[in-house]
Amino acid sequence: MEIFAGLAAVLTDPILIFYVLLAAVVGMVVGAIPGLTASAAIAMLLPITFYMEPLAALAFLYVIGKSGRYGGSIAAILFNTPGTAASAATQLDGYPLSRRGLSSKAMKVATISSVIGDFTGEVLLIVGVGLIAAIALKLGPPELFAVYFAAFVVIGSVIGKSILKGLASAALGVLIQMIGLDPISSEERFTFGNFDLTNGISLVPLMIGIFVLGEVFAQLEVRGKKTEIVDEPGTADSRARNRLTWAEYKPCLPHVVRSSFIGAFIGMLPGLGSAIAAFVAYGEGKRRAKNPEEWGKGALEGVAAPEAANNAVSGPSMAPLLTLGIPGSTIGAILVGVFLIHGIQIGPTLFLTSKELVYSLFAAGLLGIVFYGLIGYYGASFVGRFILKIPTDVLYPVIFLTAFVAAYSSRGNLFDVYVMVAAGFGGWVMRKLDFNPAAFVISFVLAGGAEEAFRQSLLLSDDGALIFITRPVALGFILLGIGAVFFRARSLNR
Amino acid sequence: MISARVNSATVVGGALALFGATAIAASFGINPDPDGGWGARTFPLVGSGALLLLGLLEARKGLGAGAATTRQTTNSLPSVLALLLLSLAYVWVISKLGYLIGTGLAAPLALWLFSIRNPFGMVAAAIVCPAVYHAVFFIGLGVFPPLGEWFDLLDVIQGY
Repeated sequence: MEIFAGLAAVLTDPILIFYVLLAAVVGMVVGAIPGLTASAAIAMLLPITFYMEPLAALAFLYVIGKSGRYGGSIAAILFNTPGTAASAATQLDGYPLSRRGLSSKAMKVATISSVIGDFTGEVLLIVGVGLIAAIALKLGPPELFAVYFAAFVVIGSVIGKSILKGLASAALGVLIQMIGLDPISSEERFTFGNFDLTNGISLVPLMIGIFVLGEVFAQLEVRGKKTEIVDEPGTADSRARNRLTWAEYKPCLPHVVRSSFIGAFIGMLPGLGSAIAAFVAYGEGKRRAKNPEEWGKGALEGVAAPEAANNAVSGPSMAPLLTLGIPGSTIGAILVGVFLIHGIQIGPTLFLTSKELVYSLFAAGLLGIVFYGLIGYYGASFVGRFILKIPTDVLYPVIFLTAFVAAYSSRGNLFDVYVMVAAGFGGWVMRKLDFNPAAFVISFVLAGGAEEAFRQSLLLSDDGALIFITRPVALGFILLGIGAVFFRARSLNR
Repeated sequence: MISARVNSATVVGGALALFGATAIAASFGINPDPDGGWGARTFPLVGSGALLLLGLLEARKGLGAGAATTRQTTNSLPSVLALLLLSLAYVWVISKLGYLIGTGLAAPLALWLFSIRNPFGMVAAAIVCPAVYHAVFFIGLGVFPPLGEWFDLLDVIQGY
């Protein structure tokens, strides 16, 4: 019932509706620009949202994340370059369709499938999040620490090419979080006598560095590369050819429904994210398809399945963030910054203290899906042609300058800008060496809460660290983490 | 031959292990709790220890691989380093000469690094970028601007 109150709150606030609409457009455009991701846009815009109302700020960034995931499909279909990692699976069938002059049809299928997937994920979130929060409220510090432990290990080991480098990325994130004063004893840690370091490393400049400046460094390597389009979707002939009929979309529906549930399930697991969901859904779709030989050569179902899955991740990935304070994705990690800045404590108590805000956020998410669905269905070709007109050699210097002023604005401190530069270069090096920047950032966000839970557990315990083994739920999560590494190692060795 | 075993995994693993070992040493510099407990040291030590272990495993993997892997060369490294240098110089200039002058200098240089050679465009960027960012962030959003230690254009234009 809370969701209806949330919808009423959102739909009666014209300013909020404007922000959601703006976010739908911004996310779609950013997602469609090859190289730029929704995470980068959110990190860059984060300091601006400090000056907005909490709900408007959260809704704005949340919808950018949703719309950005969808926007990646435009670049994948039109330019043969996935706008985001998640849309790489869409490219497999989207671009062949584009080569056959059916880019608009492919984009319509992507739009409808994304909307259905996202809507399914959001509804599952709305229905299930209260239940998860109620269970989370019963968890004590040992269980909570075990959940954190499992999250560290899963995030570090499951994504990326190398388990060792993924786990090392997570360990680095933990170490960087330790810089500053110990929150309990106020002892200085890793400050090396530097006063600026006593305040610790701030989340916002770190993320702007990794996701925005790091991308500018990466774009230097591909500067001058022209984006090409094989199908001009705006002509009259093309419009007639690209009309999507119910008979054409009907075979996609079973794939969309299945993929939506695959995406929603993967979304709930911290760290896995849209790209994995899209490829799992694509693989499963092809396996069950009546026409598997057409997949990869331009099957509409091959566009529908990954798009539904990658957008279905969006809602459920908020569940661990809102109920346990564990961000399931990089976008979730960035949203932690918004909650913190507005003084909102995330975790199970969020549903006791800020229930209205949470459900209004979900309602804004639903409205955002409607907006990007409508804009995408009727305007994706226009967005594609608009992207072609953006000179990337000018765009990235502008993003470079924006990153600096955004990093400074978060706390009005030039030290943060130095942190952003270091994180940007570090992020670029990490990508070059196949480390995992997402695991680094998520671990950075998790480390504070994990340490608090760990130390509280030891205070509760008469047997020291054995408390994590004697409590069954805690032991279960610890075994889950160890099991994830074991299975991942086995799958890599095959 | 030892040189044949020095591949990227060995180097990366060695660097991680060194970083981890240094962090362990630094962790022991953190004062223990008044009751002698490891409280504030525990997490830094666990993180450092994990990094050392993972670094050693990565280096071992590299040594086990035997022959050196193909070295990844990139033609863009000088450009990336130039952008890093520009980034550091930009922050330093802001701290000494203020945001407007710093951005006025950094904007055309950033465009130049991205292969823009149009002199009119670079001059326009030097003027428009500082003005737009100043208007949006320091006037519009009310963020207090970073003032130059030696000189600041805001003193001359009276804060506008």
